[in-house]
Amino acid sequence: MTKYNEELLDSNIRPVDNGEKTQVAAGRSSRGRRRGLGNALGAIPFIAYIGVFLALPAVSVIATAFQDGNGKFTLSNFNEAVHGVYLKSFVASIELSFVAALVAVVVGLLAALAVSSTSNSVVRSLVTAGSGVFANTGGVPLAFSFIATVGNFGIITKLLKSAGIDIYAHGFSLYSVTGLAIVYQYFLIPLMVLIMLPPIQAIRKEWVDASQSLGASRSQFWRWIGIPLLLPPIFAAFIVLFTDSFAAYATAQALTSGTIPLVPIQLGALISGNVLAGQTNLGDALGAGMILIVVLAGVIYATIQRRTSRWLR
Amino acid sequence: MATIAPDLTPSTKTNGNNSSDVLKLGRPFRYIVLTLVGLFFIVPIVSSARFSFLGNHNSFTISAYTQLFGTAQFWSTLFLSVKVGVGTVFLTLALLIPTVVWVHVRLPKLRRVFEAISLLPLVVPSVVVTLGVITSFRGLPNIIYGTPVILSLEYVVLALPFSYRALDSSVQSIDLKTLVEAGQSLGAGWIKLLRFVLLPNIRGGIIGASILTFAFCLGEFAVASLLSFTTFPVFLVQVGQLAASQAVALSLIALLFTWIPLAVITLVFSQRRASRSTIVADE
Repeated sequence: MTKYNEELLDSNIRPVDNGEKTQVAAGRSSRGRRRGLGNALGAIPFIAYIGVFLALPAVSVIATAFQDGNGKFTLSNFNEAVHGVYLKSFVASIELSFVAALVAVVVGLLAALAVSSTSNSVVRSLVTAGSGVFANTGGVPLAFSFIATVGNFGIITKLLKSAGIDIYAHGFSLYSVTGLAIVYQYFLIPLMVLIMLPPIQAIRKEWVDASQSLGASRSQFWRWIGIPLLLPPIFAAFIVLFTDSFAAYATAQALTSGTIPLVPIQLGALISGNVLAGQTNLGDALGAGMILIVVLAGVIYATIQRRTSRWLR
Repeated sequence: MATIAPDLTPSTKTNGNNSSDVLKLGRPFRYIVLTLVGLFFIVPIVSSARFSFLGNHNSFTISAYTQLFGTAQFWSTLFLSVKVGVGTVFLTLALLIPTVVWVHVRLPKLRRVFEAISLLPLVVPSVVVTLGVITSFRGLPNIIYGTPVILSLEYVVLALPFSYRALDSSVQSIDLKTLVEAGQSLGAGWIKLLRFVLLPNIRGGIIGASILTFAFCLGEFAVASLLSFTTFPVFLVQVGQLAASQAVALSLIALLFTWIPLAVITLVFSQRRASRSTIVADE
């Protein structure tokens, strides 16, 4: 489960830190270079740990993706990764993540707006705590609680059936990409709420007053100020949610027992040994592809985030 | 820090009161949205509870729970997950507390860089990390690669985005420089300083980081299952293929056990964020 929430929650507070940081930094830079080396020493264990247990595995996946079974350079792994069932799984994964993120952005935004507009502090802290908790929910237990709800024999499925509506006869299935998109909402919507609350609450009453004293109507305020201010964080949030569902493995695996063609599931199947002859390093190519997509999303995110934090001060 | 932070709280407070005036959304809109979204989150929990107590012919039974607690594997996998979790928490704290303190005292310029490094695990999906672990650590002695030790070693990295952030923000909220200088001028060495001055001051952050890391370890499925370790979530999936009601019962227990501590720290941290300026080093 991704927990960008803490990171994003704090993003509006950063400028304060920044100001302080530069003061300290200015005092430090005058103290000469020799201290610089000594200063770096204490950070070595941490950097080394990340190097061994994160960078090494990631680099080895990317490096192996360019090798054949005998360690010679080849592009055939990538060739295979973008054809047939693997291409389909990339498309399905991207589609699923896109749709799931889009729905969560809309619903989460409405919920965040609704929460921000209430002055009831109990509702506010309930929603904040609830979002913090549910955004970190996921994995296997989530899959089973949805099976109990709208699975084949789920409580709601049976309830609807006794009311004359058989959702499974009407093309709905929990064990499909659509089903997954619904289940993912359980952690995506709270994440969206957590991300959007700070920027929504940063819109000042003074700005509305100022625009009104200049003769703007309420809708003009939203058209020219409110919406342009909220669009960058909304877009950034979309990317966070997209990556989150793109990398998710546990829920999909538990819900569909690995029958659904998504990249993480295919990769998992390759790892657990369902490897055909001649596919030795295919998994590494899939892995490299996943890293590439997440990195692309991350670059877009960072660009938008930099723009947003400017006005949040 | 303490001198600058005060600007923060009043402004967030006024924002809070303002945004309800700014938005002016109708009461019906608010209630409809919040009720519908709320239902989406409550219905699966209620259904799970109902499902787990469902016997033949819609009777009420607790057999799913009694059977589970009577299974040896339930306890052994739970114990394994707890062991891995405790190991990960200790490793995390041993690695991160000195690092975070060091960065704040000696490398304040690079604070943002280290924060960004702590977010790197988000770039590599855990399935990919697992594949990388298999290809690069296969040659290591069996005591590391062949035992759950490798899980703890990797979970430290995978939980980093949460654990680092929790510690970093709590160190940020104390006046570290003054505390260190005061301690040193009284003749304390680094160990004494850490033990008697710094640790008590960042206790909240340590507890937060520990809970987040532990909850992560208890729920992690991808790495454990692909490296063929039967941890608690892996056992849960195995149960699910045989007995649905037991799996649902187990899920409900797992969810409640992670939600309660998470709710506590979310509330504590959001309150702290609000009152950070007024009671800075008061812990």
